[in-house]
Amino acid sequence: MTDPTTLPFDDPAAPESQPPRRVFTVTALTAAIRTMLETTYREIWVEGEISNARVWKTGHLYFTLKDAGAQLNAVMFRSTVRYLRFKPENGQHVVARGRLSVYDRKGEYQIVCEHLEPQGIGALQLAFEQLRERLDHEGLFATERKRPLPALPRKIGIVTSLDGAAVQDILNVLGRRHPNAHVIISPTRVQGDGAAKEIVRGLGHLGRLPGIDVIIVARGGGSMEDLWAFNEEPVARAIAAAAVPVVSGIGHETDFTISDFVADLRAPTPSAAAELVVARKDEIAAQIRRAQDRLRSAVASDLQQRRTKVHLLEKRPGLAGWPARVAGHGRYSAELTHRLNNVVTSTVGRQIRELNTVRLRLEALSLGRRFGRIRARLVAARTHLAHTTQNAHADRATRLRTAAGRLEALSPLAVLSRGYAVCWTADRSVVVRDATAVTPGQSVTVTLHKGELDCEVRSTK
Amino acid sequence: MTETPEPSIKDFESALSELESLVKTLEDGNLTLEKSLELFERGVQLSRYCHTRLEEAERRIEVLTDQGEPRPAPAALTDPTADVK
Repeated sequence: MTDPTTLPFDDPAAPESQPPRRVFTVTALTAAIRTMLETTYREIWVEGEISNARVWKTGHLYFTLKDAGAQLNAVMFRSTVRYLRFKPENGQHVVARGRLSVYDRKGEYQIVCEHLEPQGIGALQLAFEQLRERLDHEGLFATERKRPLPALPRKIGIVTSLDGAAVQDILNVLGRRHPNAHVIISPTRVQGDGAAKEIVRGLGHLGRLPGIDVIIVARGGGSMEDLWAFNEEPVARAIAAAAVPVVSGIGHETDFTISDFVADLRAPTPSAAAELVVARKDEIAAQIRRAQDRLRSAVASDLQQRRTKVHLLEKRPGLAGWPARVAGHGRYSAELTHRLNNVVTSTVGRQIRELNTVRLRLEALSLGRRFGRIRARLVAARTHLAHTTQNAHADRATRLRTAAGRLEALSPLAVLSRGYAVCWTADRSVVVRDATAVTPGQSVTVTLHKGELDCEVRSTK
Repeated sequence: MTETPEPSIKDFESALSELESLVKTLEDGNLTLEKSLELFERGVQLSRYCHTRLEEAERRIEVLTDQGEPRPAPAALTDPTADVK
């Protein structure tokens, strides 16, 4: 690499007298230029008007600084944009601090800004105005958003530093006005880096505690830089989002912060904030007592008036002797009641009796019917049974008689009665049916209808 | 901290303003006897509640830890006679 400060350009007028030409690549030349610019303009201040400002997705801010005669590309990287307290906008007159650099690919030089501040109006003031305008536009300062303070807060939250005078001022005022106030302090830094974050956290912590009805955000007086935390957007939003009404007491009477605009009530000082948060206890007590007294006397006079009215009415002639009349009415009414009772009792009694009769008849009817049917079937069954039995009996008798007749006809006794006789051998073993079965002189027995004969055969034929 | 003992009373300010408007109604009159006695009873209840609320708390000063837990405050804060910087 050659020394960048002695760039070798060919002199066309005297080609022969020069050393051999040196040809750069574009890259090498650009690199040489970059080195030269970066070493020469390492930390410069330049003023101009912002135009064409845009923040890329990467978070880097690109813009052009210009004046009547020239313009300069400018970039501010995300890491430094973060620290800007105002938002760079087109038309703003600013002073930028930074170094020159070259963007090789485009062959452009630009200033890389480390710091940017508005001219004419201070950066803080500008930032203040910008945030105020934005939040106002969002409606965060609207009167409708302001919540009323509780008449008697159960617990009072305070967001402030434990070191400052503000906390003592507040505690003194609270102690004087309301000796038994319950106070919970969320200690925070109130200036410098991180103060805003702590204030936001303190508001969150207090908002979550039960019984806290109001929160004071306070800081003693100081410069605009000192009070800056109360102008930061996160603090403003935390106040707007607080669960309970917030009273701001920041700086002195003349100091206004964004927090003051967002708070439900702005007190000019921390002490004033404490005064706004608690009414004097003795005043409240007196107020309650007054109401109680009026309550008693209102009711007392109301009752007195009524009593008077009743007395007056009692004395009017229309009401004379009314107790007796009432008593008379009482007797009459007792009588009426009695008679009414009688009528009712007898009527109801009669109706009950009728009902019973009907019911009995109804029951008899239905039972009789049902039993009648059963009885009929029973009788029929019995008759049928008797019939059957009788028939069977008669049949048997007839058959007996027939059998007996036939038996009689068959009986030898019956033949004997008609004069026939039976002749047996003498030992009665054989009935003699043939004359040849016996021989003359043989004994035989003859059985008659009544008795027997012992006979001797004289001859056979 | 005692919570509202009487469910019909929302908080201190509503109790106080109800008490005052009720007194006004009573003073204007033209109420039935029942109504005015009812209002009186309610008024006594409300004023009792207000008194209780006014007296109930004790002076207490607490400081939150980093985790948001309340702890008793250092003596320098609670003592009213302590030197103020």
